[in-house]
Amino acid sequence: MAGVSEAATGHAEAHAHHPPYLQHHFVSAEQQFDAAKLGMWIFLATEILLFSGMFVAYAVYRVWHPEVFQAASKLLDWRLGGLNTLVLLASSYTVALAVHYAQLGDKKRLVQNLWLTVALAGVFMVVKYFEYSEKFHHNIFPGGNYAYEGLQLPYVGQFFSIYFVMTGIHGLHVLVGMGVLTWIALRAQRGDFSSEYYTPVEISALYWHLVDIIWIFLFPLLYLIH
Amino acid sequence: MATQTVATATTGQPEIHYLNHAKGLKSWLLTLDHKRIGLLYLVSVIFFFIVGGILALLVRAELFEPGQTLMSAETYNHIFTLHGAIMIFLFLIPAVPAVLGNFALPIMIGAKDVAFPRLNLASWYIFWLGALTMLVGIVTSGLDTGWTFYTPYSTMTSSGVTWVALGVFILGFSSILTGLNFIVTVHKMRAPGMTWSRLPLFVWGLYATSIVQILATPVLGITVLLLALERIMKVGIFDPALGGDPVLFQHFFWFYSHPAVYIMILPAFGVISELVGTFSRKGIFGYKFVALSSVAIAFLGFLVWGHHMYVAGQSATASTIFSLLTFLIGVPTGVKVLNWIASLYRGSIWLRTPLLYALAFLFVFPIGGFTGIALGTLGLDVPLHDTYFVVAHFHYVMVSGGLLAFLGGLHYWWPKMFGRLYNEKLAQIAALLIFVGFNVTFFPQFILGTQGMPRRYFDYVPEFTTLHQLSTVGSWILGLGLLLVAAYLLHSLFKGQPAPANPWGAGTLEWTHTGRIPSPHNFERTPVVTRGPYDYHLAEEIFGNGHGDERRTPTVTPAQGQAQH
Amino acid sequence: MAHATHHIIPRPLLLKVFLTLVALTIITALTGQADLGVFNFLHVPLAIGIAVIKASLVVLFFMGLKYDRPVNALAFIIGLLMVGVFLAFTLLDMLYRGDIGNLSPEPIRGPQIEQVEAPAGH
Ligand code: HEM
Ligand SMILES: [Cu+2]
Repeated sequence: MAGVSEAATGHAEAHAHHPPYLQHHFVSAEQQFDAAKLGMWIFLATEILLFSGMFVAYAVYRVWHPEVFQAASKLLDWRLGGLNTLVLLASSYTVALAVHYAQLGDKKRLVQNLWLTVALAGVFMVVKYFEYSEKFHHNIFPGGNYAYEGLQLPYVGQFFSIYFVMTGIHGLHVLVGMGVLTWIALRAQRGDFSSEYYTPVEISALYWHLVDIIWIFLFPLLYLIH
Repeated sequence: MATQTVATATTGQPEIHYLNHAKGLKSWLLTLDHKRIGLLYLVSVIFFFIVGGILALLVRAELFEPGQTLMSAETYNHIFTLHGAIMIFLFLIPAVPAVLGNFALPIMIGAKDVAFPRLNLASWYIFWLGALTMLVGIVTSGLDTGWTFYTPYSTMTSSGVTWVALGVFILGFSSILTGLNFIVTVHKMRAPGMTWSRLPLFVWGLYATSIVQILATPVLGITVLLLALERIMKVGIFDPALGGDPVLFQHFFWFYSHPAVYIMILPAFGVISELVGTFSRKGIFGYKFVALSSVAIAFLGFLVWGHHMYVAGQSATASTIFSLLTFLIGVPTGVKVLNWIASLYRGSIWLRTPLLYALAFLFVFPIGGFTGIALGTLGLDVPLHDTYFVVAHFHYVMVSGGLLAFLGGLHYWWPKMFGRLYNEKLAQIAALLIFVGFNVTFFPQFILGTQGMPRRYFDYVPEFTTLHQLSTVGSWILGLGLLLVAAYLLHSLFKGQPAPANPWGAGTLEWTHTGRIPSPHNFERTPVVTRGPYDYHLAEEIFGNGHGDERRTPTVTPAQGQAQH
Repeated sequence: MAHATHHIIPRPLLLKVFLTLVALTIITALTGQADLGVFNFLHVPLAIGIAVIKASLVVLFFMGLKYDRPVNALAFIIGLLMVGVFLAFTLLDMLYRGDIGNLSPEPIRGPQIEQVEAPAGH
């Protein structure tokens, strides 16, 4: 597509001293970097608002039926939730390290840390998979489909709706993050990044941290109701 | 007007511009040029406007007489729902920002493109993906919930709510991407010298709109997602049969949808500011207030959504507070209207079609706004809620914002988009028809509403016949006016007179610093901005430099003239 | 390109933040399980408080917002603010439901929910 637009006018002067990663509509690499980063932060704000709906629903039903939430929360295994918290925190740490090494131009450690992050995300999903299947096994489903014999209370269904929708959307974000980070890792291996240009690494890392942050709130709100 | 006489001021060399520099369908479908993407959106929203418009004519035709006139009550439910959903999600929300904004915003701030051209193109594809997803639901099982999808009806009906909800979810992404792109563009892509206080007011309007798009749309996403999940797997958050709370749905829905009315009106405010500034030749009175009131409205708009829920079972405490906050919205809105009028006052008014639309707006919008305040009054809304008074209110605001401003802006930027002029006489006649048609259609509805005509009914008592018939006749006049617009614009597209680079003598960069039709990268070189958008007395590119230099043609005027200043 | 936005966060700092996060996770898990007796009402504020601290650490250091341009922080903070607005006004309704006196707190009840306790309005 670049070809289409560049064929036309005589602004060739612009291209001579521009590094290859600089898109033509930016004046400088600085501007491109700043724009990408602001774009990502705004996107993160939209993500927070997407989740906010679920947090509001959570607050409403918890305020209305505190004892139901307390009872239902006991059906979740806080050890698994805690383990997953630690796993995600670790992945946040490794991706932060990845950015650190990208800034230093240390390709080997950059790639290592990216793969480590993807692996930790994988662990998270595996744990989640076991949690989910255990729930389904006991007929613990969202809302109207909830049919667990061990705990029959009105509004338990709502708790599990919120649980499944929140962790489900969060899990989707983890999967997307794994995809993005895999792609970034492959690009890093290919040598796309340097200490001069590592915007995609930093941008994806920001996204990954947000996934972590959401979970930091989900853990106590869902697993630790006393 | 001196500038009016400027003939085709081309200098002889073959013109290369954004329309002809690459040819073929592929060069359009894969374009990253914000101007072309704006045109892609233009074609798309006009298509949906026509569909929505035909549905509107059907609604009005059914209401021509009491009893069943054309269609059954069930069909009527589908028709008015589709009219509302299509007009709001597929026309009003994208119309001004995605068409006019995409075309003009980067040029107005002196940028080569938006910050993320690829995302910009993606937003257009996502728009169509969402539209087609909606269509799947509509074609297979219709839609009869009203555009508001209130539960519990929307969880019970067998119509295509699930698909439409997913479609709206997807459309939300398109809207978010546009908003995100604009915010970053305004923050990071301004030309040297383009300070915040030199931004054209259209840019301010779009900036405020983008804030709303970004903050509100994600909540619409989760709302319709939960609605779809409610139907697919009975999550029971909103469905009272499962212990859910339908009023909670309304909170979710209006947290988005009240701010969304500002997605429709704020860019319109921006357009009106440009039109008033350019055609009164005086600059905007109180520029700072007009600019910042947009941002104020964007944020205040988040605090008033409960005024849609006074009689929905919301607590009286919440209703009272929402009512008080609703009154506040009138303040920044009033600031704008008064400033526009002050800008016109003693200006040298040039009564061209775009200004006619702006004047129509200045008549129509305050009626909508004042009736909004009336509806925001807790006690008054109890009898007026869900009557034709509400229907009239929101058409007065949305048609003024979505349609009059869009048409005004389209007539204003048309010469820049296509390099051709349209028939001014016909355009003025059409504007008049639209203005008259609109008022004849909707003013009677205020009266019907106060008399007790409920909204969304396909039947009524005989006493209402006269006013309903008046309203239907009005819709025909309105339709006629729009047909006329379509006719002369199509004619202009192929046969119109070539337009000069700055036919209106406007002061913003898209007129002063680009060719008749902008080049693919907008500017030969990045302009250096040395004055505000409405400082006509400093605009030597338009009026010459005061030294008798007759180079005055507003064709391609590179920036160096100013920079040396 | 050396400029303010490219602050390189030292590794020891990242490690310290990570260890703090782990410690806070353990604390929240333990206090979340414990019976605090008369202080049981502190469970919710404690859990949320710790989560906020953890999230802030991630935002400030892992995401580098502390060293970043203010406009990025502004975007993020405005997003959070709107979550607050959404939550506050919705709860404002929920907590005062039925304040006119003749309405039940939850306006419409499904048939099978009949036997339920409803301790919302006091
Ligand atoms: C001065 C500012 C405004 C105020 C105070 C206001 C107030 C209100 C109120 C109180 C209602 C609820 C009426 C009811 O259902 O009983 C309402 C409905 C509505 N307003 Fe406005 N409004 C304002 C501006 C706007 C604007 C600018 C738009 C759109 C561009 C708009 C679009 C609508 C729509 C679409 C509805 C009907 C929603 C439905 O389908 O139920 N309003 N307005
Ligand atoms: Cu409203």
